[in-house]
Amino acid sequence: MINRTMLLAVSLLMLIMSSGCLGKQEINDLAIVTAVGIDNGENNHVKLSVQIVRPADARGQTGAPSGGTGEPIYSIQATGRTIFEAARNLARFSSRRVYWAHNFVIVLGEGYARKGIADMIDFFTRNHELRMTTWVVVTPEEAGQVIATITGMEVVPGEAIDKLFRYNQIVAEAPGTNMMRLQESFLAEGTEPVLAKVQLRPRGISNKNPDQFGSLDQVVLSGAAVFEGDKMKGWLSPSEAKGLLPFIEEVDSEIMVINCPDDSNNHATLEIKSLEQRVKTRFVNNQVKVQVAQTANANLVEMGCEQPFTEIKDQMTLALKQKLENQVLKTASAAQKKYKSDIMKIGQVFHNTYPLEWKQIHSEWNRYFEKAEITVSADAKISSPVLKIQRFVKGDGLSLKSK
Amino acid sequence: MTEQKKKDAVFTSQLQDNTETLDGILEFSTDLLRREFVIHADSNRHGICYLTDGLVSNTDIQLILKTLLLYGQAINGNWQQSLDSFEQIKQQLMVNCSIRTVTKLDDGINGILSGETLVLLDGYAEGLLITTKAWESRSITEPATDTVVRGPRDGFTENIRTNTSLVRKRIKDPQFRLEAMVVGNKTRTDINIAYMKGTVKDGLVEEVRQRLQKIDIDGVLESGYIEELIEDAPLSVFSTIASTERPDKVASALLEGRVAIFVDNTPFVLLLPTFFWQFFQASDDYYSRYWVGSFFRIVRYIAFLISLMLPSLYVMLVSFHQEMIPSMLAFTIASGREVVPFPVLVEAIMMELAFELMREAGLRMPKPVGQAVSIVGSLIIGQAAVQAGLVSPFMVIVVAVTGIASFAIPNYSASIAIRLLRFPLLIASGMLGLLGFAAVFFMVVIHALSIRSFGESYLAPAAPFRPSDQKDIVLRFPWWSIKRPPSFSKEQRRQGKNTMPKPSGGQSGGPERG
Repeated sequence: MINRTMLLAVSLLMLIMSSGCLGKQEINDLAIVTAVGIDNGENNHVKLSVQIVRPADARGQTGAPSGGTGEPIYSIQATGRTIFEAARNLARFSSRRVYWAHNFVIVLGEGYARKGIADMIDFFTRNHELRMTTWVVVTPEEAGQVIATITGMEVVPGEAIDKLFRYNQIVAEAPGTNMMRLQESFLAEGTEPVLAKVQLRPRGISNKNPDQFGSLDQVVLSGAAVFEGDKMKGWLSPSEAKGLLPFIEEVDSEIMVINCPDDSNNHATLEIKSLEQRVKTRFVNNQVKVQVAQTANANLVEMGCEQPFTEIKDQMTLALKQKLENQVLKTASAAQKKYKSDIMKIGQVFHNTYPLEWKQIHSEWNRYFEKAEITVSADAKISSPVLKIQRFVKGDGLSLKSK
Repeated sequence: MTEQKKKDAVFTSQLQDNTETLDGILEFSTDLLRREFVIHADSNRHGICYLTDGLVSNTDIQLILKTLLLYGQAINGNWQQSLDSFEQIKQQLMVNCSIRTVTKLDDGINGILSGETLVLLDGYAEGLLITTKAWESRSITEPATDTVVRGPRDGFTENIRTNTSLVRKRIKDPQFRLEAMVVGNKTRTDINIAYMKGTVKDGLVEEVRQRLQKIDIDGVLESGYIEELIEDAPLSVFSTIASTERPDKVASALLEGRVAIFVDNTPFVLLLPTFFWQFFQASDDYYSRYWVGSFFRIVRYIAFLISLMLPSLYVMLVSFHQEMIPSMLAFTIASGREVVPFPVLVEAIMMELAFELMREAGLRMPKPVGQAVSIVGSLIIGQAAVQAGLVSPFMVIVVAVTGIASFAIPNYSASIAIRLLRFPLLIASGMLGLLGFAAVFFMVVIHALSIRSFGESYLAPAAPFRPSDQKDIVLRFPWWSIKRPPSFSKEQRRQGKNTMPKPSGGQSGGPERG
């Protein structure tokens, strides 16, 4: 009995020892990628750019002094016939093993996106190291340039783009599109992929030369890219993207600027606190009819109108309703007329309502979508003028006192 | 003489023979005193006293001699007629309270060596053993282990009688039983088995008695000997018998139907059966309010998990599963490790060893030196090692937190067992990552599930799960809700119904105003 236990113990020990730390890789032997850019290269090649963190410089001195150039990132580029080949070619000059698991964002060049992104979806979902929560964006610039730009307040620019998306709902002008949602909309019938658009804009002001305004490029989130299948068709402007958002994600907050009823030079600003949207489809005479109903709750946050709020509340509510309706119609016309691509997930709603009919028409859904009649009815409520119903006017306080 | 014959030898009526045999066995020893006397001048009756100096009280000895010399002299008439046996001497002459007569030589010798006084008289084939035990011993002080914030401050001493009296003082119940035994062929150490009759499970005391009787060893110097000689899982790192220095802990264990083993010459009393979870329970839990008790108990369970697993988890994550670390933390860890030349596993083992070294050195050195050790150690490990680029600051934090957590476990032997288990877990997870960690962890869990302590599953009442016993495991429920002792006890009742305190009914207003 003792002998058998000993034998078992010894063989287990040898088994563990002989594995030789299988699969071990120290964290400081990894080149941790935080952003990836994909562009078209020459000769039908793929140009892969990666932003790699230099931990010692990205985090300051946490242990023993380790020196460094002071640049938090190390950006490199390689080409190959496929994405994976290009990734392997990175190893020719990267001193550490390229590690994808902490990637924040994949930036696609416009040229690459127009050529087709099926390969990229396949690679990034098949690879076990990559996360499905990675953001995917398209840029009209060179993707390599975008990922090598130091942007935002974060030390690591990839993280800055990640945060840009996390707090994106305040502006609500671009969809937050991650790998999972891209794959889902790519694979599903009755919807087409939409990706957020980023641009380089000279928004930053150099601390050293403040007079040269906009001398530093920043990554700016603006609008969206529309796809049909795996090929990019074109861009949505920020205002068109705004109307698209309620169709594909929860909208937490957005702002609306409306003209004052009496004077269109003055504006009042409303913050939408909740926006509920229901989409219904009907199938009448072989034509798809879509009813979009929106219910919005808004707060008055900036009052530029002369008249007191109580008097113009109804007019303002009406203006808000119209604005909401127009916004949706604008997006719908872009989707239907300009790109002929169902980015609003209308097909999915139709599928759920008319499963049998869907089976017959799903192969030519885009033709139906183009001709679909979209009507919008918005319901809005403006509340909380924060106790003050009028705009602030000089001498206002005095007149209140004399009353 | 053979061994058996020696044991069975008896006293003869010739004093000369008796003293010669005794002297032959005891020979000369400087602390062995022989006092010869003549008890009755008329009949010229000789006697002798054997005693061990240092183990006896001089006043008691003087009392014996006074009785024998003065009052013995005063006996009138024929000595033989009035006092013809030691039994009569004991009843009619002696004034000491604890006296017994012995006929075997061996008993007499054992008596002498354990602090009794042997009186032999010419013409009697018996000896008189008078208890005169008295020796210097430490007074009752606060125990060094098992310290509490709220609770009694008395602790056991090296004297077994003092120890049992401390428990007896707490349980004034006729069902409280103490059984005496002697273990150790040469040390002849006194052992007392304590239990509550009617509360303890049937058969438990017999089992304990049998296991103790099986012990055949030359000496027992501490209860640790007994623990190792009677435990259920002798090969396990887990200790299946708890030990404590606190009389209140022993009293509470007895009330729950456990058995306590007192061993002479040590303040550590053994408690059995023992459950794993017991090692995370401090006496404070029961004396503080139940919210506080429960909270500290949860803290201790967390300390247990940290001290067992934190270094292995860190090594596993940093050298195998970097994707499981949040990105920002991963960058920071990578930055801290930038200049460290060793793999994480080597770094961890190095630091753990340095910590154990420091702990051990601080413990063994005289107190003032011990402090110097800890100052130098903390400077080297905390500051210089990081500055020199030998270890990363994260590893220092991990090792320090692990060390602190292991000190938060109230029972020292459990804390050591966990500390020992940490190393296989660390090496396995450093070599095979999550796979190795899970494999070793499950081996430990399965082992703990398989062992028992005097018939009870070691991990009970968690596994096997006993719903009725859950009130005193993870949380300490209020006293008024614990209606019965744990289910292994024979006693069914701990307190009556409706013992939750509330204001007496009737008056709904405030205090009455006169």
